[in-house]
Amino acid sequence: MTNSITEIEDAGCIFVIGSNTTACHPLIARRIYRAKEKGAKLIVADPRNIQLSRFADVAVNHRLGSDVALLNGMMHIIIRNAWHARDYIADRTERFEDLQSVVAAYPPDKVSAITGVSAENLERMAKLYATNPPAALIYAMGITQHTTGVDNVKSCCNLAMLCGNVGIASGGVNPLRGQNNVQGACDMGGLPNVFTGYQPVSDPDVNKKFSRAWRKNLSDKPGMTITDMVPAMLDGRLKALYVIGENPKLSDPDWNHFNHALKNLEFLVVQEIFLSETAQVADVVLPAASAAEKDGTFTNSERRCMRIHKAVEPVGKALADWQIISKLSTVMGYPMEYNSPEEIFDEMAALTPKSYAGMTYERLGLNGLQWPCPDREHPGTPYLHKNQFIQGKGKFHGIEYKDPAELPTDEYPYFLTTGRMFAHYHTGTMTRISPHLDIEQRTGYVSIHPEDADKLAVKNGDPLILSSRRGEMEAPARVTPSVTPGTLFLPIHFGENPTNVLTNAEAFDPLAKIPEFKVSAVNIKKLRA
Amino acid sequence: MECKFVPSVCSYCGTGCGVIFQVLDGKLVGTLPMKTHPVNEGKLCIKGWNLHEYVNSFLRLKYPLVKTFGRFIKVRWDEALQITADRFKEIIETHGPDSVGVLVSAKITNEENYLAQKFTRAVIGTNNVDHCARL
Amino acid sequence: MKNKIKEWLKSGQIDIFLGYKTLQGHPLPHAFGKDNLEDIDTLITGSNYYPLEKIATKLVAEKPDIKIGMITQDHSQRALNVLYIWNQLDPENIKPLKGDGCSSNLKEHADDSHREAGKSGQFKKQFGMNTHASIEEAEIFAQQERFQRWMYEFQKCIKCYGCRNICPVCFCKQCSLEHSNLIGTGSLPPEAPIYHLVRAVHMAGRCIDCGLCEEACPADIPLRLLYRKVNAIVTELFDYETGSRLDQSPFSIIGESITLKLKPIAAA
Ligand code: SF4
Ligand code: SF4
Ligand code: SF4
Repeated sequence: MTNSITEIEDAGCIFVIGSNTTACHPLIARRIYRAKEKGAKLIVADPRNIQLSRFADVAVNHRLGSDVALLNGMMHIIIRNAWHARDYIADRTERFEDLQSVVAAYPPDKVSAITGVSAENLERMAKLYATNPPAALIYAMGITQHTTGVDNVKSCCNLAMLCGNVGIASGGVNPLRGQNNVQGACDMGGLPNVFTGYQPVSDPDVNKKFSRAWRKNLSDKPGMTITDMVPAMLDGRLKALYVIGENPKLSDPDWNHFNHALKNLEFLVVQEIFLSETAQVADVVLPAASAAEKDGTFTNSERRCMRIHKAVEPVGKALADWQIISKLSTVMGYPMEYNSPEEIFDEMAALTPKSYAGMTYERLGLNGLQWPCPDREHPGTPYLHKNQFIQGKGKFHGIEYKDPAELPTDEYPYFLTTGRMFAHYHTGTMTRISPHLDIEQRTGYVSIHPEDADKLAVKNGDPLILSSRRGEMEAPARVTPSVTPGTLFLPIHFGENPTNVLTNAEAFDPLAKIPEFKVSAVNIKKLRA
Repeated sequence: MECKFVPSVCSYCGTGCGVIFQVLDGKLVGTLPMKTHPVNEGKLCIKGWNLHEYVNSFLRLKYPLVKTFGRFIKVRWDEALQITADRFKEIIETHGPDSVGVLVSAKITNEENYLAQKFTRAVIGTNNVDHCARL
Repeated sequence: MKNKIKEWLKSGQIDIFLGYKTLQGHPLPHAFGKDNLEDIDTLITGSNYYPLEKIATKLVAEKPDIKIGMITQDHSQRALNVLYIWNQLDPENIKPLKGDGCSSNLKEHADDSHREAGKSGQFKKQFGMNTHASIEEAEIFAQQERFQRWMYEFQKCIKCYGCRNICPVCFCKQCSLEHSNLIGTGSLPPEAPIYHLVRAVHMAGRCIDCGLCEEACPADIPLRLLYRKVNAIVTELFDYETGSRLDQSPFSIIGESITLKLKPIAAA
């Protein structure tokens, strides 16, 4: 997030796109409610009718995967009415012409045809967003999990910059992270091309710095992303995989494909707190401590690095992940002798000058600090790009709309989208064994609109067979107007109804390598008893 | 008798709400929202309120496991680590460091993510490290 | 006061003292024990932050012989009374230390200082229920409008169960809110208004107006107002102010059924 969670409360307008906030980030949704109650305008664009839609000044269901068209359409209207922030654009951004020339070709009637959103609603959305500063744009995986994920994100940034909303309190572009420490995992260099704080492995100075600190000559060749690793496993280039705290067998976009890939590995190590689907097929399983059983830090979506404290001893012989990695490394001939996570944190902070350098456990306290926090006196940064963009000038990108990889056909006439429900988390390994969460939702389901259900004579709870070009699976129907006719929704948490049997692994964003979980074309049949 | 209240952070989504774990005789018995935390100000969602439950689950992994002839057997830590280290080394020697990949996690701490990428880069010798948050 | 607690701990009159202590600027609940008497000097008092009575109930359930000392402000004394009446807690287990400062309107001159002033935004006042409204203020609206305003509030619910989880006097083993025949599961918002009314009804004669539920509600639903109204009805019908006395509640459970004693006509 460029801005902070508390700031949302004081926005003049909030535009939520591709985020079912009340279910997936409920304590951020709270700020949206509060903003609304203080008088902010609320725009919600989502392929489904989500809880927040009920409170919106304008709520639209744009067709799955049509985000770029929708955003371009809004920008078209904003520029046509001269609602854009001309001074801001002149002072702080560049390549406005690129954007202007592209969005000129997105008049409301055309956008309406692509997105299914009426021209009238487009006008209202554009006006609300542009004329109620500061406007905060909030999105989640509904924007990123597409073949055009990067385009979608860039379009969000375009819109925010166009109205001068980046670099001010309560505005900004605010991606909400699905998993608790995605932000931290990225900040810490859990990426094939960068060290901590996004320092490129290929930058000679950076590489030299880390090589010296770690007393080892490090490769400057960017590695494989997970999306690259799967084909590499299949064709034998990747022989061993070490999976720490993840369950890719359920979260990978193509179950069959990934299963094959795993079988091809010579050696699979999984370090987990449960015997997850992936751990079951591993050669070695290392038992890890849970978050309540260790010390350390997490960094949330608003870049706030916060301490967690050990409350109880790990179960059985489980060890904290940092202890396991240190021991393994030591056995492999590279001694890592840390007495505490604090020592690791200090080593990391010293190597991460721009963002984490000013943090210590003592300074973090219980409130944490928001990076960038470059030195010991720095109070942390509630919102980014104040006065100036970190990269100098904010760059506009002219983005053309592209169809998602799959659109409904005669054979597969329904859109399928996937997501989370409020009581479960990710692949369900932690939440489904939690009695109070299990009570809320025990099984997978597929949401289907009453109209479609009528057509197929499907009642609530009837088992349905869903099939896509890749496979088929079964799930009970949940008849609900929360989806639109022609669209189905599947929650991702349920291993016995694995959504990734259906979703498309071949389709991913060429840059971010994020698979298109949010759109596939499927057919449904009633399962005859 | 030991009764403690330990502040921590909810690990069920990227919001990062402040929680207090209630501990009784070394066992987690409850989760409370931290009233004065800047993110959540004393409120939690259903997942946060039940954060302690998965920790106590009987399904937790308690011992290192090694698969032999298709079945898992319990082993000691030193054995598990030795087997893992030997296999990694063998594969690195025959196929080069780029034949190994590491997936880090959005569920483990910053310190652990830092160590995991350090391990991949300095010990294995490859940049094949990624997290699953794309998924 | 702190000396008295030390006394109690030293002499074994209590096993632990439940109170608050500041950790890195945050007041957190803390159990003071006899092993570290100096620790008592860090005890802080003043406001009700956490449901200590509920924590005490949990402790007693695990350790039936334990003796717990705690500061009992008015609402907390009322909570304890309710827990005694409903046999969830035995007065034998609790040694109260009188404190003051209370945020309830059951007490004159309530101390509301720790609650945010002006919490309700304009929009909420226009379409929802003002958090600070009194029962009378809420009743200005005609029935239809009042219903709509409450429905607006209920639609915001994210089904966190926080209102129940934090409530010092919610103790049922089988919570009706989780009864799938009564309230559908798995979708947001929970069925309105049934979810909230079920809880409200269950709070009749139990809610001691501590306000913790409302503070824990992520959706800023004025729950306290709702339960106050329910309790006002109880007071009117049964001449009973919840938790104010230790004698029987008009709701007494005999076997599976709940009986009610109406107040004498003369008193009306
Ligand atoms: S309590 Fe809910 S909103 Fe807060 S971090 Fe946990 S899962 Fe996210
Ligand atoms: S005010 Fe709320 S938390 Fe307090 S007793 Fe009443 S219902 Fe329970
Ligand atoms: S605390 Fe509020 S949001 Fe949570 S369940 Fe109760 S009424 Fe709903």
